[in-house]
Amino acid sequence: MDNKTPHCQQNGDTGLQGMLTDVMNELIDEVTLGLCFDIHRASKIGTLFLGDTDPKSQREYEIVEKLGVDVFGQVATKKQFECVCPNCQRNLAASRFAPHLEKCMGMGRNSSRIASRRQARIAKESETSSRVATTGKGDSDDHDSPDDDNDVDWSYNVDKKVKKLKKEKILTHSPRRNKHNKFRNGNHLAGDNSSDRSGTPEPTIPSYELMTVEERKQLLLQTCGVISEHTKKMCTRSHRCPQHTDEQRRQVRVFLLGHANVEDDVHIDIDSLDDVDNQSLRESLQWEVNSSASSPTDSTSTNNSTSGAKKRPPSKSNSSKNSNSKKKKGSKHTTSSVTNSHGGSGNSISSSSMYDFE
Amino acid sequence: MADPQDRKLKDAQMRATINQKLVETGERERLKELLRTRLIECGWRDQLKAHCKEVVKEKGLEHITVDDLVQEITPKGRALVPDDVKKELLQRIRTFLAEQSNI
Repeated sequence: MDNKTPHCQQNGDTGLQGMLTDVMNELIDEVTLGLCFDIHRASKIGTLFLGDTDPKSQREYEIVEKLGVDVFGQVATKKQFECVCPNCQRNLAASRFAPHLEKCMGMGRNSSRIASRRQARIAKESETSSRVATTGKGDSDDHDSPDDDNDVDWSYNVDKKVKKLKKEKILTHSPRRNKHNKFRNGNHLAGDNSSDRSGTPEPTIPSYELMTVEERKQLLLQTCGVISEHTKKMCTRSHRCPQHTDEQRRQVRVFLLGHANVEDDVHIDIDSLDDVDNQSLRESLQWEVNSSASSPTDSTSTNNSTSGAKKRPPSKSNSSKNSNSKKKKGSKHTTSSVTNSHGGSGNSISSSSMYDFE
Repeated sequence: MADPQDRKLKDAQMRATINQKLVETGERERLKELLRTRLIECGWRDQLKAHCKEVVKEKGLEHITVDDLVQEITPKGRALVPDDVKKELLQRIRTFLAEQSNI
């Protein structure tokens, strides 16, 4: 018995081992049977080969199992991701995308001004190019205006003067002007400058014969005002209108205001313009601002001038104070110099007086 | 000698007892579920499925029967089970039996 017990134990162990293996195999067989049922069912239903594609593509997309290579069989390299800017359609590295957007679209802090300005410029340029394409003319006018913008922003000084300027700018940028230009283009094919002038419509300005001297003065401060030979109407464009020369403008002013008035135009303007007139003018200008605020170009110009005012260096502000104080004394010299610095040096006397109401 | 016969009888009894225990306690179902998940995890099921597809293609989609499949697949299924899974399963059964005999 003693001998037998370990043997028996061993036998029992192997027997137990065998039994356990049998149990395990049964389990495996059962799972396999389950799979067989599944496959059979799938084959009878017709879903067995649905997941398969053609062997060629299957080979193509086989998972690669090699060292140092990803599942697509590509060597792992640092990939430079690229984004396309939705605004300017440029390709950019992903890491540079956010800073670029900041500049390009103004989608970051502190850059909306730059962006809106650029957009305005682009719009202006496209407008210009189309205009130049149709006629060779209008070049000087369009080249003027961006330059003037810059002047307003960076070299010209603030206070009421800038506000006035700004309004003046808005006036010149208003859609009405574009209409004029188009009209002019159509006429230009037919004839020369004089015939051009005849085509200019005068929708708002009443006949100048009916106006008082003060009203005429107001009008001439705002517009070119040269009287057409054919329609007997006044030009409504700004003082820098390219169709009329400074000489023509001067003549009109002599004609409308009388010789003496024109000679010392500046003095009269400074002294004689009282508050009431100013108020009404300001109101009319304000109305202009509001009405044209929706156009992107105009809003940009307002932005520019205000920001330009903020960025003005201290030395400039000093000089502006100086000029202001001098101006209060009514010094003719100062006013003319201010006008020159503004860049409108070629303009008539009235244009210099235009900015010096206060 | 009645010894081998006796042992055979004993073996059969023991096997029946083990199976009964496994079924009664529900351990068998648990083990089967564990085995199924392990086999799916290690890709056994996919391998076997691919093999099944070959068999079905050979015999023809219309003529295949479950018996054909079982005959073809079962030996392959046993052979393809990884040793790790087998070991784990055996260990589970052993511990189960040890618990049962202790009680």
